[in-house]
Amino acid sequence: MAVDGIDLSVNSGRIFGFLGPNGAGKTTTIKLLTTLIAPTSGTINILGIDAIRQPLDVRKKIGVVLQQPSYEPTLGVEKSLEKYGMMWNVERKTRKDRVEELLSAFDLQEIRNMKNDDLSIGQRRRVQVAREFMHDMDLLFLDEPTVGLDPSARRGLLDFVKKKVKEGLTIFFTTHILNEAEYLCDEVAIINKGKIIAVDTPDELKNKFGREKTIKIRIPETKKDVSGLLVGIKDYEIDLNSGTNITIRSNDSEEVLLKILQILNVNNIPIEDLSVMPTTLEEIFLTVVNNSNASGN
Amino acid sequence: MHPVIRLVNRNLTISLNKGFLIWQVIFPLIYIFVAGFAYTALIHSVPFGNKSLDYPAFIASGMIGFNIMNSTLISGIIIWNDRRHGMFEQILVGPFTRAHYILSNIYTIGIVGLISAALITAVGYPLFFKSVEFNFYTIPLVVFASVTGSILFGSIASIISTRLQSSEGFNVVINTVFLFFAFVSTAFYPAEGTPEPLSTAFYLNPLTYLVDVVRAGIFGNFSTFVGIEMIVLIALALILFTIATKLLSKLEL
Repeated sequence: MAVDGIDLSVNSGRIFGFLGPNGAGKTTTIKLLTTLIAPTSGTINILGIDAIRQPLDVRKKIGVVLQQPSYEPTLGVEKSLEKYGMMWNVERKTRKDRVEELLSAFDLQEIRNMKNDDLSIGQRRRVQVAREFMHDMDLLFLDEPTVGLDPSARRGLLDFVKKKVKEGLTIFFTTHILNEAEYLCDEVAIINKGKIIAVDTPDELKNKFGREKTIKIRIPETKKDVSGLLVGIKDYEIDLNSGTNITIRSNDSEEVLLKILQILNVNNIPIEDLSVMPTTLEEIFLTVVNNSNASGN
Repeated sequence: MHPVIRLVNRNLTISLNKGFLIWQVIFPLIYIFVAGFAYTALIHSVPFGNKSLDYPAFIASGMIGFNIMNSTLISGIIIWNDRRHGMFEQILVGPFTRAHYILSNIYTIGIVGLISAALITAVGYPLFFKSVEFNFYTIPLVVFASVTGSILFGSIASIISTRLQSSEGFNVVINTVFLFFAFVSTAFYPAEGTPEPLSTAFYLNPLTYLVDVVRAGIFGNFSTFVGIEMIVLIALALILFTIATKLLSKLEL
């Protein structure tokens, strides 16, 4: 996917989420930023270094976990971590300490002597991500790092990443799992068809694009025709499921809620449960991408 | 530590597994000690320049060249595995350039080629010691053959590994090509006395030149023809190395 007019700046010591549908240009952007491919025009500045003119200098300061698996099939887990540290010129003593730290942090102790070729996809992914922390870096690119991981391993990885960011690391993170981005990212950019269509903090994106709220009300079984009672209320959407659940989706959901509560009160219909669903990053993502597709941008 | 040395260290670690070592040591030993002595009943002696060699001595010296060629398979295997298992891209987003990667492969096969040659020379020495004629160019010729042969055959293995996509294709092509090199050469039998088309085919094969140079060093039979063979080996190695480097440099990520 060609990318065009990407204009991003990422603050250090933060986690920057890079989101987009399949084929939007995320991996192409990562390849450009990590100097695997060169742009046809434009500039890329990573950590104050011109990435087009001095790609090796950039690569010495970054870490990259690519989307596709990468491993040494003939090496054991411990050995592959150790050798990766050696490739990055990490001192022997430091390598030894880091291997132990990462085996423990990524729950790899039990499989430390297993060959990479014999690991499951999830185990191999954990080794791949752990391996990248063998060396020092200022910026880490994580391209869908949690693919193939179980929920526990996924949470462990995200928490480890958070810990490293607190110690000063900057992360450029892509994922399809939007609650991961919501959990992790200080700032997100959404890319579609090779162009950036939104950049902001998750909260600001919600304020900008997430005015619509969803409210759910559960009422007991009643002989009264609830839908008939609510007929007069307009400019909102009510779904009546099995006669006991009312779902409101509206930009003015509080106002609509008040009207419905009044009608229920007047008709002596008690409320069993009432919940307000917060806007999720996933909803924002869908809204922004759909708007972009509709406008042809 | 220089990036190329770090990559060579890594290449040797991932390549020198039990299977490879067995292949590199046991396989030639079987040829030298089983085929060598078994065929003695059929081949009493092999004419070689102005002298006559017994067959075990002839095949043991041929196996030095054969083993140099075989050891270069690891170049193709390293590149192939790196592409297949994502390590090629991973290395290139690390503190390395493509030039580092290419040079590390050349050094790796050079080291493995030299060690293989030394190993088979040591093992085969009892068989050809009667015919050995040590002189000041014995070691330089064997080292020349090891280094040039490693670069030449390593480049062929690299070219194959960059051109093929499927693992089945890679295995079939590399085994077929190396099988041709091994058996359509003078490593196992002399060119003299074979049917004309076959002896011509022998001299279309760089392994023949490599083996001739090794034997010239060991048996003190250096001649103008061997000198020409050395020039051909250098030229071929340079051409193939240039092609392999270009293909690796252009390999899409």
